[in-house]
Amino acid sequence: MSASGQRLTIGWLYSDLMNIYGDRGNIQTLVQRARWRGVEVRVLELGKGASEGIEAVDVFFFGGGQDKEQELVYDDLLETKAIRLANAMQRGAAFLAVCGGYQLLGHYYQTAQGERLPGIGLLDVRTVAGGQRCIGDVVIESDPGLGLQPRTLVGFENHSGRTYLGEGVRPLGRVRRGNGNNGEDGSEGAVSGNIFGTYLHGSLLPKNPHLTDLILSRALNRELDPLDDSLELAAHNWIKDRELSGSRRA
Amino acid sequence: MTPPRLLAAVLAGKAAGTASRLVGQGGGTTLPGLVASRIEPRTLALLAERLTAGSVLITGTNGKTTTSRLIASLLQGLPARVVANRAGANLVTGHTSAVLAGAGLTGRFRADWGVFEVDEATLPSAVAELKPRAVVVGNLFRDQLDRYGELEMLALTIERGLEALPEGATAVLNADDPRTAEIGYRLGERRGRLKILWYGLDDPAVAISELPHAADARTCPRCGSRLDFRQVYVGHDGDYTCPTGDFGRPERDLSATSVQLDGLDGVRFTVGGVQVGAALGGLYNAYNLLGAFATGTALGLKPGYMVERLGEVPAAFGRQERFLHQGRRFTLMLAKNPAGFNEILREAERLGGGRHFLLGLNDRIADGRDVSWIWDVDFELLGGDCAAETLIATGVRAYDLALRLKYAGLKATVEVDLNRALDRLLEAVPAGAEGFILCTYTAMLDVRALLVRRGSLRPYWRT
Ligand SMILES: [Zn+2]
Repeated sequence: MSASGQRLTIGWLYSDLMNIYGDRGNIQTLVQRARWRGVEVRVLELGKGASEGIEAVDVFFFGGGQDKEQELVYDDLLETKAIRLANAMQRGAAFLAVCGGYQLLGHYYQTAQGERLPGIGLLDVRTVAGGQRCIGDVVIESDPGLGLQPRTLVGFENHSGRTYLGEGVRPLGRVRRGNGNNGEDGSEGAVSGNIFGTYLHGSLLPKNPHLTDLILSRALNRELDPLDDSLELAAHNWIKDRELSGSRRA
Repeated sequence: MTPPRLLAAVLAGKAAGTASRLVGQGGGTTLPGLVASRIEPRTLALLAERLTAGSVLITGTNGKTTTSRLIASLLQGLPARVVANRAGANLVTGHTSAVLAGAGLTGRFRADWGVFEVDEATLPSAVAELKPRAVVVGNLFRDQLDRYGELEMLALTIERGLEALPEGATAVLNADDPRTAEIGYRLGERRGRLKILWYGLDDPAVAISELPHAADARTCPRCGSRLDFRQVYVGHDGDYTCPTGDFGRPERDLSATSVQLDGLDGVRFTVGGVQVGAALGGLYNAYNLLGAFATGTALGLKPGYMVERLGEVPAAFGRQERFLHQGRRFTLMLAKNPAGFNEILREAERLGGGRHFLLGLNDRIADGRDVSWIWDVDFELLGGDCAAETLIATGVRAYDLALRLKYAGLKATVEVDLNRALDRLLEAVPAGAEGFILCTYTAMLDVRALLVRRGSLRPYWRT
């Protein structure tokens, strides 16, 4: 048992199939930042067919995958995970879903042919297949309700789906640079209770330690002691300043 | 008789090449092609028709440049006149530039063979223009996804390119790569007239025990099950089979056994009854060497001749270069994606001497704009047997790199400016020790230019 006597279980959904774009960085950041506070951390990989231990998970991570891999997890998500994840949401577990994972937490994904593939509906969002991919660095101003300091979040987006928010969610933030949810309404990501969905990877959490700590504090249900985040924020500010000043070189 | 427009294109292209070399813009690797193509869009195809023997294309994520260089050397020694795109300029304008280098000022062509490394995504157009006699497909790792879309799409693009190969051409395929294997299986089912030559490694003694984190094609391309790996050699390349029984490694026509690694200095193995070796370190170079040997075999070269010729080849520009600075040895290596990076780190670890590192990360288009992949590199290796004493992060995204190292439990010095970062490394390496410089593509070009200016390396258009 660790010094603080607290444990954290991270449930990594489809770690083998939905693990593109450096999603491992998000897991590493959650793990390290909890350990640095003396919390004992366990990572539970929840692959196809696996559901044992879901009841004990404090924070779920659901990453993105290539189209083919997303198809492969789809049936399993609906059949063996959906109800257990809804129960976890009810008891207050935190969720971070990125890109493909974000889309699957919504109501549906509508393909280019007009077919609607249902999601698990934990977030009040809908996604429609888009034409051109949205690719590039993103800077957003986080929703004031989250109380994040600094206000900005930075990441990299790479998606063709266009996601639209319903009444039941707040955006994670407003786009200052990049496309965000759909490239139309200026919103990026979605938040409802302890559920966070976003298109930002890069990896997302390492350069956004304030968001990481918000998610961890929700998962652990307590305030966290501050850490020395000078390197994290230097990386954050470097990309934020470059993107907002438009000084990127080809 | 050269058509007037082609002649004008050739002349303008060659002039552009001379001018760019004179002003020191880095060897004129793409500018001549760009200029010529604007005057005559079919410059490449028209000149390629004039190659007396034909051309060979090399594609795949990692190892293209080294494999190309080995194949070019095999053909040069025949002897034959070979044009090749050098220095990693492997977009279509680079091919045109390379062919221009072989054209005289009258547009008369003076080359027998064209050897071109081709980006996976441009293979169909390169096949259409060059009508190659052989195409080598090495491996398909996750790389620069923001440029080209996703791995499955890339596999389909390569398949489309190979499908369009002319009668009698050979697809030389790495059987150890699951994605490359699936391309070959599908082609084999649909097309009888295409020849396929499979190659692979068969030596459990040099395998690693488990898949590194960056191994991204670990799922069956047919049913999506997690593949069982009996051996893993490099990244996700190895001996695999699908537990459902619908997919497995193809039988090899050329299989390398008794692999011997000599650090970064060389590799050798037995294949087809002969022992092949070259001064290229690292297991990943065994694949490059074997790919070149297999291509030579497909083109009808004699094994004995290839053994002799490959044994004399120096390491390809940029991928791996050595230099001396005040009695200290330095190795400069291109590390552009997780699979490549992990292999180099493992090699440094195997050497036991790799304690001083300069790591360079840029996010320009040629590097891939998305730097997420650094979180899939096993930098934790640097804290293990490597016990890195010096870790300097440099390049446009130096802070991201230092942050990645922090979460691997390592402390790096951030020096965004490459020139100052290089100074720091040169100062940090004690006499008799060795320093490693691992960089993404454009960071590598920048470091190399600085080393040329300091007199430690030769400009690459003269190498
Ligand atoms: Zn299978």
